[in-house]
Amino acid sequence: MSGTVKEKRVKTVPIWMGILTFALAFGAGVASKFVIQPGWAKEYSVAWSDALGTRRIDLPYGDGEANKFDLYLPADSGKENYGLVVYLHAGGFTAGDKSGDVEMLSWLCKKGYVAAGVNYTLFAELEGGATNGASVLTQSEEIRNAIPKVIEAAQKEGYPIDSMAIAGGSAGHALAMIYAYRDAGQSPISVKMTFGAVGPSCFYREDWDNYGFDRETEESYQGAAGIFSAMLGELLSVEEIKDGSYLEKMKPISAAEWITPDAPPTVVAYGVHDRVQPFKASVRLKAALEKNGVDFQYFEMPHSGHGLQNDHALYKQWMETVDEYLDSYMPVK
Amino acid sequence: MTLTQKRLVILFIIALIAFVMGRLAVRAMMNLLIGGTLFGGNFL
Repeated sequence: MSGTVKEKRVKTVPIWMGILTFALAFGAGVASKFVIQPGWAKEYSVAWSDALGTRRIDLPYGDGEANKFDLYLPADSGKENYGLVVYLHAGGFTAGDKSGDVEMLSWLCKKGYVAAGVNYTLFAELEGGATNGASVLTQSEEIRNAIPKVIEAAQKEGYPIDSMAIAGGSAGHALAMIYAYRDAGQSPISVKMTFGAVGPSCFYREDWDNYGFDRETEESYQGAAGIFSAMLGELLSVEEIKDGSYLEKMKPISAAEWITPDAPPTVVAYGVHDRVQPFKASVRLKAALEKNGVDFQYFEMPHSGHGLQNDHALYKQWMETVDEYLDSYMPVK
Repeated sequence: MTLTQKRLVILFIIALIAFVMGRLAVRAMMNLLIGGTLFGGNFL
């Protein structure tokens, strides 16, 4: 090897060292975003252990394959009555499972509540373009049917329920709000409060700008008719979308439309830049809660989307408020 | 400052920039999928 070539190689070593350092540090930065969580978040994300209590998994509440719930029973079984907190999983009405909320349910159980994760039949497309018949409407009806069974199962286990809260994330939040505002009157136990994040609460086309449904184009009308029909489980025509008459049909799954002065206290959080569900619909939800004088807390995350991922300080405040509302409206005796 | 020390300082700066860029890349990807701003809110 000539001296010049050797010299060149020696000179390139620092450059390669720089590239390697960049690659390793970049990878560490990516990993840190997933691995490092704020210290306070651990308080609300509890790993299940038998010291917390007892779990009953996949208890049935109906004939459907998905009609199952998990019951988290606190370790202290000697109380006269217990509060029940039902938490409904996320997944865009098409995916997800109650097992994804173990940490939240464990936190609630640790606080002394009977916690329940309830599955519901997910919307699915079958071969040939048909669907399995599931919609937000049928899912909300399943949840309504599940609650008495959950209460009954807790009672059988020796945990009599005298109050309840219903909550969820995203799709689960939408279903929780529907139960809290539409079905609470039929609940066997008084619904004391509801909480959740990023759940769609109404279907005004102009609010759904994240899907372009606010535009006055044929494509926009067709898009809205397609998605809203699938969510409702009933065919809506483009004409109904255009003249606004679809809104009355959407009412059964529009939680915000069911808010009255008797609606339970509410704690909600939404991301201003949400691309999955319309942020503008949450502004309408807030207005309905205000108009009806409901005790509510509305958290607007100015830098976040559907995951509320960029506003840790506000997220912390939201969880602290949920905690406070639970303590206030459903005190553990 | 010796040449080696200078090189170490440069490597440290490169590592710091790359680490920040790694975190920003994840944030940008998340924002693309579910919405959000690249800056503001919690640091990175």
